[in-house]
Amino acid sequence: MRHDETLAAEMQRRGVSRRAFLKYASYVASLMALPPSAAEALAEGLAAARRQSVIWLSFQECTGCTESITRSHSPTLENLMFDFISLDYHHTLMAVSGQAAEQARLEAMAANKGKYIVVVDGSVPTKDGGVYSTIAGISNLKMLEETLRDAFAVVAVGSCACFGGIPAAKPNPTGAVAISELAGGKPLINISGCPPIPEAMTGVLSYVLSFGKLPELDHLGRPKAFFGETIHDRCYRRPYYERGLFADGFDDHGARQGYCLYKLGCKGPVTYNACATLKWNGGVSFPIQSGHGCLGCSEPDFWDQGGFYRPLPTPLGAMGPALAGAAVAGAALGVGAALAARSHQKTYLAASEKEKD
Amino acid sequence: MDLLAFARGPALTFATAIFVAGTLWRLVGVLALPPWRDLSPAREGAPPNWLGAIETVFRKMIPHKTFLKAGMFTTVNGYVFHIGLALCVFAFAPHILFLKSLFGFSWPGLPNGFIFGVGALTAASLVAALAYRLTSPVLKLISRADDYVSWLLTFLPVVTGLAAASHIGARYEMLLALHVLSICAFLIWFPFGKLMHAFLFVFSRGATGARFRHRGAQL
Amino acid sequence: MTAKTTVSGVAFDAQGDRNDTDRRDAAMQGFVRDFARTAAIHMESCVRCGMCATACQYYVTTGDPKYTPINKLRPFEQAYHRHVGPFAPLYRLLGIKSNVSIDMLQEWEALLYDACSLCGRCTLACPMGIDISELIKEARHGMYKAGLVPDRLELMDRTTKAWGSPATPADDFSDIIREAGEENGVPVNVDLPKADYVVTTAPAELTEHTKALTDVAKILNKIGASWTYSSAGFEASNIGYINGDVELQEKMTRKMIDNAIAVGAHTLILPECGHAYGAARWEASRWYGREIPLRIIHMTEFLGEVVQSGKIKLKKIGESTSFHDPCQLVRRGGVNDAPRAVLKALGLELKELEDHGALGWCCGGGGGVVSNTRADPLRFKAFELKRKQVEDANAQHFVTACGQCRITLTLGAKHFKWDQKVESLLELVADNLQD
Repeated sequence: MRHDETLAAEMQRRGVSRRAFLKYASYVASLMALPPSAAEALAEGLAAARRQSVIWLSFQECTGCTESITRSHSPTLENLMFDFISLDYHHTLMAVSGQAAEQARLEAMAANKGKYIVVVDGSVPTKDGGVYSTIAGISNLKMLEETLRDAFAVVAVGSCACFGGIPAAKPNPTGAVAISELAGGKPLINISGCPPIPEAMTGVLSYVLSFGKLPELDHLGRPKAFFGETIHDRCYRRPYYERGLFADGFDDHGARQGYCLYKLGCKGPVTYNACATLKWNGGVSFPIQSGHGCLGCSEPDFWDQGGFYRPLPTPLGAMGPALAGAAVAGAALGVGAALAARSHQKTYLAASEKEKD
Repeated sequence: MDLLAFARGPALTFATAIFVAGTLWRLVGVLALPPWRDLSPAREGAPPNWLGAIETVFRKMIPHKTFLKAGMFTTVNGYVFHIGLALCVFAFAPHILFLKSLFGFSWPGLPNGFIFGVGALTAASLVAALAYRLTSPVLKLISRADDYVSWLLTFLPVVTGLAAASHIGARYEMLLALHVLSICAFLIWFPFGKLMHAFLFVFSRGATGARFRHRGAQL
Repeated sequence: MTAKTTVSGVAFDAQGDRNDTDRRDAAMQGFVRDFARTAAIHMESCVRCGMCATACQYYVTTGDPKYTPINKLRPFEQAYHRHVGPFAPLYRLLGIKSNVSIDMLQEWEALLYDACSLCGRCTLACPMGIDISELIKEARHGMYKAGLVPDRLELMDRTTKAWGSPATPADDFSDIIREAGEENGVPVNVDLPKADYVVTTAPAELTEHTKALTDVAKILNKIGASWTYSSAGFEASNIGYINGDVELQEKMTRKMIDNAIAVGAHTLILPECGHAYGAARWEASRWYGREIPLRIIHMTEFLGEVVQSGKIKLKKIGESTSFHDPCQLVRRGGVNDAPRAVLKALGLELKELEDHGALGWCCGGGGGVVSNTRADPLRFKAFELKRKQVEDANAQHFVTACGQCRITLTLGAKHFKWDQKVESLLELVADNLQD
């Protein structure tokens, strides 16, 4: 397929039926919570779209996000890559390596100036000039700056790219930051999660492709279609929470009954993601369904929220020493105040004795 | 750091430290004052001072009928929001988890729907208490800024808690953060205003109890 | 001494010629120096619920919120927080609690003296158990130091300092006793060097109720006791206790106790006077500085003792009566059963008032109110409450055990032209002794 050919023409050439194409469009539309009429608009947008150049940059990351997107069940990555986008650079997936790989990136940037989309997974180390992560001898910091210059938009994929993630966890030795801090005003979509749900990634890309604009985003730059509700709100165990039925351990009666995992540190109530509805592995299950509380991985600083098994309502700080100190200080002040009052009384008494004389 | 992490972390630690320090400061500051030792011989058959004090702490939970008649609203409404607050604080599962993290032990909670109802009733009762304070000539005269501040800082955790439980007004984590921050404000104010009566009532009733029971007088 | 009014038109008296700052400082000194643990706890504990208002006869009968008991403490609450409370250094440093103004003290004089009988009914109503009437007594310590006391009370104070009693010079005391003895035909003992019982008096007995002087003599003679009145220590009413003059309170306490010790008495009998009971039975050791080596009992307790032990036998009157519980004796003194046992021994059917015992309403004249003529209108308002309950009880007699209550109630009845005699328990016993 050539870059100037529309997707419709390409698909016709491959023998994809219009019916199959509409089916996919309506699936994406429903994922993104678009109105039914939008399915057709989406289909038409996609049909008229030209192949989109995508440059995928992987920085301080674990490749989990790539692993996740390769497991997207509909549309499959193959479909997405070969039908809808031109993945011009992805150093994990591309066949070429070394100088040739970097050359491909630079060529794509030149050929699609102002039109290409940059997808980033991983955070960017900024400390010590960004020496802690380099690709082909170029620091992540520099590569991002260079690649973003002529990009149309940037999509941060995964919690590291969105919020700094695990590399930015305390004490953040590399000075890792989120892409949003370095995006320099480029349109940005955050698709958080560790990793993000594959459908969230493909759905958002499809949307951008067909409508040529960003979907509606929340205050953290995440598409509301996937991050509009909490895990807790959509959790099938929610009724147990309301009834006050909880698992107190991972192997107790409550756990076997499938009661709410709130007491075991589930972060579902404050985690916005679609796990409870879209689920994972082709809709098979999600963490809570398999008996473990939500870690809150799609939220900022999820790694530093006091521990995965610490229940949500418990304080985050180490209260003990602070309270012991406060108790000692308070008691000392109390004794001091009583002594001051005594001496004040004596002064007053002396004054009134004098008056009597 | 987002607002919820700030609320659960430094804000809560700071507020609790102020609460502990201020409470001890005030209690010790008063209790370390020299006593006036009562050397008068006790009435025959009078209980020892400590027993007279304890008896009175309980005795004072129920007003005499003659005062109840005139102070019916104050008494009944007072009971409603005190019990309501106690249920919300001590019988709501998330709160029990909070307390467990502080004290290391826990107890069973009540269903959320029930607590929500209690919370709503408590909020209504607090509003009624404020309305009464603003309209009764006696209360208008004797009220201080402390009374209104203490009212507000008691009311806010209740309404933010209700809002968080029902997801009304903002995103849940924002409501939860506001709820925790309202508790922080409550804790910080607690030792310096009349909220302190939650501890003082024992000593206040006890002191009078010891004095009166020593004399063989009824309370 | 001149009667003045505050900016808002409230009458106040001021003694001595001092500038306002001195006066204010003296009030604070007088108030602060005696502050101890219990008073401090109570100053800290108010939740402003207003329940105390419903307990106060001056509020209930006038409906004026300024008579709410806790409001009567306002300037002293402010002073407490500035000078004694645990945050006082902080408040002084930051200027949060300003110093009390002289205007405020003048304004509050009437609330502390005219509108409080120290009856302590508010203490029973307070859900926090704050002993409000005790705090008002503490506040009066400051007011006395400042010279902001009703003139009539100050007059009694000066008279007591000069005479040893507000009623009569000590020199005349023995004559009054002997005259009463002759008049009523009862042998009396006065100024005996040694005796087992020392009997004391209150102004009421030395002026209006002189028969009481011989009534007690009659009973003591009857049981064959060794007893005496003493010119060196007869005055039990202790105006210092009421006015807030702690020096006088201490002096009067010592005088009375020292005399009883000198006489070698094992028992000191207090007259039918409520505040005498509070001052001597419960507070004397505080001012005396140590435990008192003899028994101090109220006349009513003495009557209860001799009646219940069978030392005296009484004629049965066989009618009905209601009883006014003197606040200092019953509510704040714990002598609830003795008067009722004596009434029973007299064969009187007791028809209790609607509010009785610890919860009885004050006569309205205690704590110096009846002596403070400026407070008459308020006192008469408060009297209406008592009158209604006495009428509702519908008994043939109306008895009490406190001379001041009796005077207050009699004055009230006279004012309202209400035909109700107020009788003394002592007199009833003395008049109905069986031979």
